[in-house]
Amino acid sequence: MLGNAERLVWGNRELILEGLSVTAQVCVVAFLLALGLGLTACLVRLYVPLLRPVAIGYIEFCRATPIFVQLLWVNYAWPEVFGFPYTVMQAGIVALALQSSGYLAETFRSGIEGLAPGQREAALAVGLTESQAMRRIILPQALLTMAPSIVNQLVVVIKSSTLVSVIAIPDLMYQAMRIVHQWFEPIEVLTSVALIYIALIFAISATARRFAEHLRRRYGLGGET
Amino acid sequence: MFEALSQSLDPALFWEYRQTLAEGLLRNIAVFLLGAALASAIALGVGLARMSRFRALRAVAVGHTEVFRNVPEYVLLVWLHYVVPILLTKAAGARITFDPFFSAVLALGLAYSGFLAETVRAGILSVPTGHVEAGRALGMPGGVIARRIVAPQAARRMLPEALNQYVSLFKATSFISLIAVEDVMYRVAMVASYEMRPLPLYTGAALIYCVVIITATTTIRLLTDRWRRRGWV
Repeated sequence: MLGNAERLVWGNRELILEGLSVTAQVCVVAFLLALGLGLTACLVRLYVPLLRPVAIGYIEFCRATPIFVQLLWVNYAWPEVFGFPYTVMQAGIVALALQSSGYLAETFRSGIEGLAPGQREAALAVGLTESQAMRRIILPQALLTMAPSIVNQLVVVIKSSTLVSVIAIPDLMYQAMRIVHQWFEPIEVLTSVALIYIALIFAISATARRFAEHLRRRYGLGGET
Repeated sequence: MFEALSQSLDPALFWEYRQTLAEGLLRNIAVFLLGAALASAIALGVGLARMSRFRALRAVAVGHTEVFRNVPEYVLLVWLHYVVPILLTKAAGARITFDPFFSAVLALGLAYSGFLAETVRAGILSVPTGHVEAGRALGMPGGVIARRIVAPQAARRMLPEALNQYVSLFKATSFISLIAVEDVMYRVAMVASYEMRPLPLYTGAALIYCVVIITATTTIRLLTDRWRRRGWV
């Protein structure tokens, strides 16, 4: 069995590392996009009364649709309707970003709304404009309290990213399944890949927990123990 | 684009295949209910074990929670469906295979038991120690304290978070088609390739999920709101 592991896992280490790097690319880009979309949706919902229903609809839709359904929807339906995305890679990234942006928008909203209204009023009273108050007073404080949930969302993105293999993005899971189908020996490869994912996600969430604890001690807010 | 947009919604197509699709959706609901029951049962045990007096039991519970919270559901699903039967076959000496439906329930139940165990633990910890001490001061036995003081309060506090987890579990049932459970997405893919029109089908599938989930969560929130507020301090 160990010989098998050497042949199947170590022998395919290049494929596995390649897959891991694709996974990392997809996750990072999707997560950054999700942060942008989520912040936009949240700000529109809070400060643009005219477009509020649109923002709420967008957020609710993103949150209530499973990632797998969104993935297939973006991959099969969007090109016909919008002429975009052009590649499966883009489709995977857009789908992951859509899903997370809904959750992040709600995280941002609770962070901003959770802030004492006196903070904004004080900023306006000393002569800051609305946007200055948002940029310099509200967002920095809100970000501190939101940090743990934002990292949690990154974890969700990584976990959901395993599904992009279904639309043939060559990520870690895709490479694993390819090796499995080539040799018909799933035990070693699938177990290793599961362990890689567990280790990766555990490392991120453990770091996030320590970081949240650090923030809590340093600034007296954010993170619960 | 506008033509495509109008094509992307085609209720007639869904009406035509209503029986196939509804059957698929029922299978999702079955996996969800069994998975949720399994997850809740395991979570209750593990959540309680986290607070046990015995260190070994606590260590096992922590291990369980960390593994199942951190493993991607899809990876767990594939692993359980393809790897575990082979290992069991080797161990038992007889050929063992898992029915896809069984693997789906097992995988989703295990995956969400990790999150729910944390919810259980947080709920129990949220009951003020003073309440337990007051119960003890009145001479209540441990079982009575657990049943009449801790459980009712913990359950109320767990509900919103548990509900979120059940929603995630239901959403996760969308990809059990990947191990060939004939669920709604399996049927959607079937009809899409048969009709060669993926556009309205995938848009419709997204909307179906959206409507089912929003309706279910809103209803449950409304129904449980009064129960949850009762006895709230």
